[in-house]
Amino acid sequence: MGGVSVDTGGKGGRKSVDSEINMIPMIDLLICCISFLLISAVWSHMSRMNADAQVPGPPNPEKELNPQPPDKMLHVEMRTDDKFTLIWKQGPTVVNSIDVPRHAVEIADGATTVIRYPDLATKINEEWKTNGSHRDSSDKKMDQAVLHTDNKTVFKEIVAVIDSIYTPKRDFGGASKQIPAFNVTFSVN
Amino acid sequence: MAIHEPGRRLLHHIPLKFVQKKVEGHGHRATSASLNLTSMIDFFMTIVVFLLASFSASGEIPIDKNVKLPKAENTLDMVEAPMVAVNGSQILVDGTAAGSTRAIEEAGRMQRIDELFNILKSKRELWKATQGGSGKSFPGVCVLQVDQGVTALVVKSVFQTAAFAGYPNVSFMVGQLPKHEH
Repeated sequence: MGGVSVDTGGKGGRKSVDSEINMIPMIDLLICCISFLLISAVWSHMSRMNADAQVPGPPNPEKELNPQPPDKMLHVEMRTDDKFTLIWKQGPTVVNSIDVPRHAVEIADGATTVIRYPDLATKINEEWKTNGSHRDSSDKKMDQAVLHTDNKTVFKEIVAVIDSIYTPKRDFGGASKQIPAFNVTFSVN
Repeated sequence: MAIHEPGRRLLHHIPLKFVQKKVEGHGHRATSASLNLTSMIDFFMTIVVFLLASFSASGEIPIDKNVKLPKAENTLDMVEAPMVAVNGSQILVDGTAAGSTRAIEEAGRMQRIDELFNILKSKRELWKATQGGSGKSFPGVCVLQVDQGVTALVVKSVFQTAAFAGYPNVSFMVGQLPKHEH
C-alpha cells in the first residue's frame, strides 16, 4: 500500500515512534477537492458600471427645507461624429464649455473590437480636478455627469463614454478602495 | 531497520512465484510501473491552491446567450439584483420575456415598456412583502445586460422604465478590461 514511513527509533520495548502517513486517503481527498473546485469554478468574471436615474425621494414633512444652490454638473454631449462637447452647468447657467475631438481607439478583442476614448478620459480627468465640486474624501456627495446621446448611437459607444467619465477616482470616507468621482445619468432628450 | 533500499515494492506480498517474477522483471520488461508520489502530490497541491484562489462563492451570473456584452476598464463588483437582458429582438427579466426591442425601434421614440414595468413592479412589491418588515429600505438596484449593438433609444427606454418601476439605481453589466494608467 502507498505510504510514507518515518523511522525514528522504537527500541527497548518502548512504544515505537514510527509513523506512516497513509497516502491513499490523502490522494483521494485531493482528487475530491480538485473535482469540486473544477465543477464550481467561475471562469468568466463580470463587472458593472453604475448609473443613477436621479429620481428624487418623497418629501419629508418633518425636515426643514433649506434651498441649496444647484451643484455644477458636467454634461457630456456625443451627438456629432467628430467631437464631444463637455459643458459645466450650474442650474441653467453654462459655466464652461470645451470641445474634445472624437478620436476612437479600437482594441482587438477576439473576433470583435472594443472602443476606447482616451482623449476624452484625459480631458474629463483634468476637468474634474479643476471644476469638480466634491473632491474631499469626507464629502458623501458625488459630482454628477449627464450623458446626451442621439437615439442611433450603439451601446458599445455609450459604454466607452461612460468608462471615460468614470476615469477620475477619489477617496471616499475611510474606504480602502477609490471610487469613481462622477455619477452618470442619461439625458432624456 | 526501517530505511529500505529503493526499488519496486508493489505486488511483492502476493505469494505466487510467477507474479513476483513478472513484477521484478527477470529477463523481461516489468509489468508494474512505479509512480512517483512526491511529484504527483505536488502537482495536485498546486492545482488545489490555484482553484481555491480563483474560487468565487457567489457563483456564475447567468448571461443571456444572445447578448454580447461590451467591455470597460473602470468597473465595480457585481451585485445581487434583478437581471434585465436586452438583445437585438427582445427584453427579458430573469429569463422571462418582458417586451420587444424591435417595437421600440419601430416606434422611433422613447417610451415606457409596459410588460417590463409590470414585472419589475411586481418584483419590488414581492421584495417589500418578504423583506420590507425587517426595517431595510428597498435598494432599487437592477442590472442591465445590454447587447453591445443595441441602440441608445432602447437603452434609454429600458433605463427610464426601470426608474419608473422603482429601480433608479441601474447598473450595466460589462466585461472587465485590463486597467491602463492615464
